[in-house]
Amino acid sequence: MTRPAITIWRHGQAGTPEPLLDIAADGRVTGYTGHVDLGTGLRTAMAQIVAEELDIAPGQVSMVMGDTASTPDQGPTIASESIQIAAVPLRQAAAQARAVIAGLASARLNAGIDDLDLRDGMIGTDAARLPIADLLTGPPVSLQLDPDTAVKPASDYHLVGRHLPRVDLAGKATGAWTYVHDVAVPGMLHGHVIRPPYAGRDSGPFIGRSLIEVDEDAVSGMAGFVALVRKGDFLGVVAEREGQARAIAEALPVRWATPPDLPDLSDIPGTLRDLPSEKRMLADRGDVDGALERAATTLTRSYAWPWNLHGSIGPSCAVADWREGRVTIWSGTQNPHMLRADIARLMDLPETAVDIVRHEAAGCFGRNCADDVCGDAALLSRATGRPVRVQLTREQEHLWEPKGAAQLMDVTGGLDANGNFDVYDFETRYPSNRGPNLALLLTGAIDPAPQPCDMGDRTAIPPYRIPNLRAAVHDMAPIVRASWFRGVSAMPNTFAHECFIDELAAEAGEDPVAYRLRHVDDPRTADLIRRTAEDGGWQPGRAPRLTRQGQIATGQGFAHATYVHGAFPGVAAAQAAWMAEVTVNRDTGEVILDRITVAQDHGLAINPEGVRHQIHGNVVQSISRAMGEDTRFDRTGARDAEWGSYPIARFEDLPEIRAILMERPEEPPLGVGESASVPSAAAIANAIFDATGVRMRELPFTPERVKAALDGQPLPRGLPAPADTAPPRWRRLATGVGAALAGGLMASAVGLAIRAEIPRVPRPDNIWSAETVERGRQLFAAGACAVCHTAEGGVPLVGGRPMETPFGTVYSTNLTPDPDTGLGAWSYPAFARAMREGVSRDGSHLYPAFPYTAFAKMTDSDLQALYAYIQSLDPVQADTPPASMIAPVNLRPSMAAWNALYHDATPFTPDRAQSELWNRGAYLVEGVGHCAACHSPRNALGAERGGAAHLSGGMVDGWLAPALNGTGPAPLDWTEADFLAYLRDGVSPRHGAAGGPMAPVVAELAALPETDLRAMAHYLASLNDTGKDRSDAAAPLDALALDQPLEMATGPAARLFRASCGACHITGPVPSATAARVPLALSSAVHADRPDSVIRAVIDGLPAVGRPDPRAMPGFGSALTDDHIAALARFLRQTLAPDKPAWDGITEAIGRARQP
Amino acid sequence: MPEAPAPLSLTVNDAAVTLDLPQGTTLLEALRADLGLHGPKYGCGYGQCGACSVLVDGQVARACVMPASAASGRAVTTLEGLGRADSPHPVQRAFIEAEAAQCGYCLNGMILQTVALLQAVPDPDEATIRRALRHNLCRCGTHIEILKAVRLAARYMAEQTS
Repeated sequence: MTRPAITIWRHGQAGTPEPLLDIAADGRVTGYTGHVDLGTGLRTAMAQIVAEELDIAPGQVSMVMGDTASTPDQGPTIASESIQIAAVPLRQAAAQARAVIAGLASARLNAGIDDLDLRDGMIGTDAARLPIADLLTGPPVSLQLDPDTAVKPASDYHLVGRHLPRVDLAGKATGAWTYVHDVAVPGMLHGHVIRPPYAGRDSGPFIGRSLIEVDEDAVSGMAGFVALVRKGDFLGVVAEREGQARAIAEALPVRWATPPDLPDLSDIPGTLRDLPSEKRMLADRGDVDGALERAATTLTRSYAWPWNLHGSIGPSCAVADWREGRVTIWSGTQNPHMLRADIARLMDLPETAVDIVRHEAAGCFGRNCADDVCGDAALLSRATGRPVRVQLTREQEHLWEPKGAAQLMDVTGGLDANGNFDVYDFETRYPSNRGPNLALLLTGAIDPAPQPCDMGDRTAIPPYRIPNLRAAVHDMAPIVRASWFRGVSAMPNTFAHECFIDELAAEAGEDPVAYRLRHVDDPRTADLIRRTAEDGGWQPGRAPRLTRQGQIATGQGFAHATYVHGAFPGVAAAQAAWMAEVTVNRDTGEVILDRITVAQDHGLAINPEGVRHQIHGNVVQSISRAMGEDTRFDRTGARDAEWGSYPIARFEDLPEIRAILMERPEEPPLGVGESASVPSAAAIANAIFDATGVRMRELPFTPERVKAALDGQPLPRGLPAPADTAPPRWRRLATGVGAALAGGLMASAVGLAIRAEIPRVPRPDNIWSAETVERGRQLFAAGACAVCHTAEGGVPLVGGRPMETPFGTVYSTNLTPDPDTGLGAWSYPAFARAMREGVSRDGSHLYPAFPYTAFAKMTDSDLQALYAYIQSLDPVQADTPPASMIAPVNLRPSMAAWNALYHDATPFTPDRAQSELWNRGAYLVEGVGHCAACHSPRNALGAERGGAAHLSGGMVDGWLAPALNGTGPAPLDWTEADFLAYLRDGVSPRHGAAGGPMAPVVAELAALPETDLRAMAHYLASLNDTGKDRSDAAAPLDALALDQPLEMATGPAARLFRASCGACHITGPVPSATAARVPLALSSAVHADRPDSVIRAVIDGLPAVGRPDPRAMPGFGSALTDDHIAALARFLRQTLAPDKPAWDGITEAIGRARQP
Repeated sequence: MPEAPAPLSLTVNDAAVTLDLPQGTTLLEALRADLGLHGPKYGCGYGQCGACSVLVDGQVARACVMPASAASGRAVTTLEGLGRADSPHPVQRAFIEAEAAQCGYCLNGMILQTVALLQAVPDPDEATIRRALRHNLCRCGTHIEILKAVRLAARYMAEQTS
């Protein structure tokens, strides 16, 4: 790299020079800042500042942001201080470089410095002008920053203060931008971490000491496995590919100690008041106690704020490359230099051996998992000696990010005899720390003792003239991981100040805006408040006005705040005022935000459009927080792990937003990253009060909570407790079956002998025609033999798949023609006997999990073809695991008695009254297809029930096999076309898609000619013929109408469904190739008598089924809690099958589905 | 009988590709890791947020919930396949001009969903736009600018076809 022509630097904290700005010989300028662009457009604004001082085109300036090897340590990018503080030396360096250029030009052109002007990268006089690059041919100039360099007066600005297009968007909109998630290093492996069960906790002696054991051997043979890395509670796997790493991590058996219980975090006031804290006095003026005694009116109030998620859209990601005692980390960190120190500590390296290369990540708005994942990657890279990328999952980011802290504000205040705000006694509790790096905690590198931090004091002093004022913060250790989040503690503190002054105004009988104005001294603040009220159309008057028509009430609310950042007393950033207009449905508690008017005074706006976007962003994000965000915890830790259980604002939630930028170009620029969020919650709460007379003193303002407040009830938090408390019926049932079985078979088993062995034969290979083998192949597919005779993830057809029966577990056998462990030594008569009579070659009885009861109906010629096909396969040696059955069924001879009772070995006889098609279908369905094996209920002895019960539905592997005989609860009749679509394509849009054990069956059926599938469909449809006219069955479905109930339903479960499932399960205006094809309103699973299939589908998901465009559903088992799943199941049943009884046993069905 | 998964053949951004992938690989992983196409982003893995959107045979799809095998024989278009910085697709151009991104992580999904919306409804009203984008999440709160971009995109698309 050639040395830059001009470099401006300063001494860094370690005494080494840090560049601030350089200019290359071609005139290109690079600015260096330790702050990073968190998605707010800072890269553009910083370039704009440099370009302004140098009078060059902004396109000539690039910014290096946050790389530890080349940028100054300016602390974390927090508290809106980038423009106010971090940009100052950058601007000075640019001004100094400008002076250097002027000096060079003066010498070259022989002109006085004052006669020169610099414009668009050209310098000179009217007579002669040179491009800057032409001056940069001499020896490099390197100067230390002179902080006294004169910078341009704001009146001369022509770039700053005007719109400059964002420099990053063309790349971002075309996929060319490299986020940290996109960094790829040659030879890179993929890591996946396994976090402890104490999700989102970081203090207490159990941290780092809860991992009991882990079974590496169980996964070390899995595809792509490279390493398992364990240190303390840090656990991660490394694999060749990302998906492999995740699969291995999910399969890894791990045992953790049970963590100690968390306190009840749903009771924020109680919990925060009870826990230890250190009180720090921030202000004490006048005579608070005396004033309270004298006050004409006093009010004592508590305001509470819940834990919020930062909720980055991209879960954190990092790449680390450890080599020869150095580590390079590609990171999306908010604080590169602080991260460098943490990594140095984690790896026991000097800081100079750690390089952080900063890339943009998804907007973080505070401390999320961006640093944690760097520690993860560093540990995994060191363990493997290869570069490792770690991508956290959505669940990990949700559960483990240091949350925006909950906060409690206790306030007492009063009015004097004239209604003046005379006294205010404010205490705030803020349980948070600075989010120690998780890898340091998990590996035991730092002490997990609770540590408070001092960030609870932001905007703790209200912006009003109050003669008697006391303000204190209780610094508290975090209860769960909690750290700074946009607006830090100022947002909750302002919620209290601005609701309280509203309460006082109401007590004083005054207009809330006029009341504020009468207590404000700062003329800029007064201007801001007036402008907001004017532009928003504030209706003066005493609140609450209680404007309503019927149950619909409307109101207006006001709030204002100056965001103060940095250590107390801190520095003021921009100030903002909100006017919120709301409509409240008093029946449902629903609050609709109609319009938000926000004005902001930020001094000079560097890039006004950028400032406007920040105001919009702050408004949308803060209404999201105020209206619906609330992190839930159980006794173990955090539990909201996806976007359904922690919903954020959507396009449809958007109010009309009017942003007003106060014009103050003569004033210094103030930070705008957070200010417009701060008044939000109070303005909305005050508007709800104006509409309803009810004060919401605790967030969020969900319909249930507002409704409870309207009804004078305690405010609920989250989903209601499951109502499903029915006893575990299936257990009782299972016990009953076991008893009957023991009694029944014990008697009949006595005295029955084993059947004769049929001698081994040499493997009969290559003696059948190709046509016979092909017919056998089709029959093999029709019977879906491969499905049961292949273990999950195992070698095809060698068996070993466990079959759960009411009597224990039996394993499928090896079907390949291996002479020792498979069918290679079986003669055709041995095979035929097994197929027809359920007797193995050696004479022992087979369990009826093997459906010989159906196969017995096959013709001899078909059996021969099947035999021929099996013998044509490649032999594979593989033993079958022994069955573990409840006595006495484990005496296989007792099956002989069973056969005597339940097995009819008569071959299929065609029904002459029926068509050939019907008979072919019946033969396939009842014979080789053995549909009844799953789709008929079984009796106490495990035999298929016949007669009317034949094909009336059954249970298999925890999935419901719906009725095929028309007796099921499906909302629409099954027609021949429906059956054909289902068998051929794997999905009938009028009923459902093949899931669970049916999915692979459908995959196998693809080998059958369509004529056979049509025959099966024809036969099955005949069982469903109710004589009804079905001419409408071919009409296209009205998916919009069918989804309407899901759209219209109210309540937390409806919202959970829409946010969690709606993208695929609610029809919108845009057709999607990954949306569900079956409207849930028609789903057989939703209308079934038991919830099992719905629950299985939610937990395990569905594999890709359907032709020609297969669609899959992901399993939500690791993302949704049991409560969430139960709520979804109840919601679907209630909403889509209202005519059917509510499901019993939802909790038990979830428990069964959760079993490994 | 089930066979070892055959190499997967599909078309990506108009080029025929063949990939040898382990079973269970998502289309998203295949595009990002095997083909180096970083437009589609991992956001949730549940089809909830839309960051991973691509077009499959012209229909928008959430690549995080689509097994790569399900794209066999089909045509996939990613953000990169729509247009480049010097020759953007009209929808990309509209998003750039409306500055409809803060961090930009959701931008891929917003653009792809808009392309699909304008195919289905060339001149959508405000309610239809909001409904079409309801399952595309943005945490930065860029919604106002995105709505503006969609309206602008509808204009550009109409100009292009007229």
